[in-house]
Amino acid sequence: MTSWRTMLYHGSRCLLGALFCYAGLVKALDVVAFAGSVANYQVLPYQLNFLVAALLPYVELAAGVLLLLGRQVRPAVLLIAGMNAVFMVALLSVILRGLDIDCGCFRPGGEGHTSAQMALLRDAGIMLLALVTWLGAGRRNG
Amino acid sequence: MSKECKGRALWWDLQRALLIALLAVVVGLAVNSQLLWRVLSGQTLNSVTTSVDGSTETILPLPVELAEVRELQDSTTLLIDARSRTAFAEGHLPAARSLPRGEEVAGVGALQAEVPLSTPIIVYCSGYDCNDSFALAEILIAAGYQQVRIFEGGFPEWQDAGLPVEGAQP
Repeated sequence: MTSWRTMLYHGSRCLLGALFCYAGLVKALDVVAFAGSVANYQVLPYQLNFLVAALLPYVELAAGVLLLLGRQVRPAVLLIAGMNAVFMVALLSVILRGLDIDCGCFRPGGEGHTSAQMALLRDAGIMLLALVTWLGAGRRNG
Repeated sequence: MSKECKGRALWWDLQRALLIALLAVVVGLAVNSQLLWRVLSGQTLNSVTTSVDGSTETILPLPVELAEVRELQDSTTLLIDARSRTAFAEGHLPAARSLPRGEEVAGVGALQAEVPLSTPIIVYCSGYDCNDSFALAEILIAAGYQQVRIFEGGFPEWQDAGLPVEGAQP
């Protein structure tokens, strides 16, 4: 790989990894607040909001740590892209239903307010980072 | 890399991704087993954070959804409206009691004199952007109420669902 491609790959990998480590950590530290954020989407039954809030942060953390370490990069990117796709569908449904809620993406419990539109735009950026990392990892393997 | 090799590599990556997710889920289940057990079995409705020495540090109210509020409406559960007196007078959930933010000191005292601490309570205000229900629920928990939950959708969600409202202006 040429040097700028190498830099782009490592930059996107580290950025994506750090982003998901942070997102996973803040949610894992306040599961109840995150459950409230999940409940705000009005998609899942009451108890399932807690199940998602208890498990999702650890999947985000695992994918983030692996990306930062540069281990299992392609599986970690697949996980992140999969989760991100689900988030985008959820945000789209929020916009279509006209709900005015905080996305709960990085600050569970509604401290601050990120609209669904802004969050969707951010998720599109994350998807782009995931694509760059995936292609970079593919070249390195191939 | 040939198409077949790429397909095999993708399948291999997917399998490893699922394995990583599975391991993360197991860790999440192990770390949050106590909370999940309480929520799924409905044993305790408030979230209790316990410190290393075992003493209780903070108790947080858990959310409740519209469907459950409807189910609990006719039971012994007390509904508390945390909005202003004016908003309450214009319309509130049936049988709800007004306890606005700013009047909680006198209001909680009066409540304690009338309502046993074991009574389940649901607090609501003006919807998802309103923090008054959460703040009041924390005060009620601190006052000794053991089963306090917050209906985050609040009055707007109740009204939007076309459910009966008391005290509404014609």
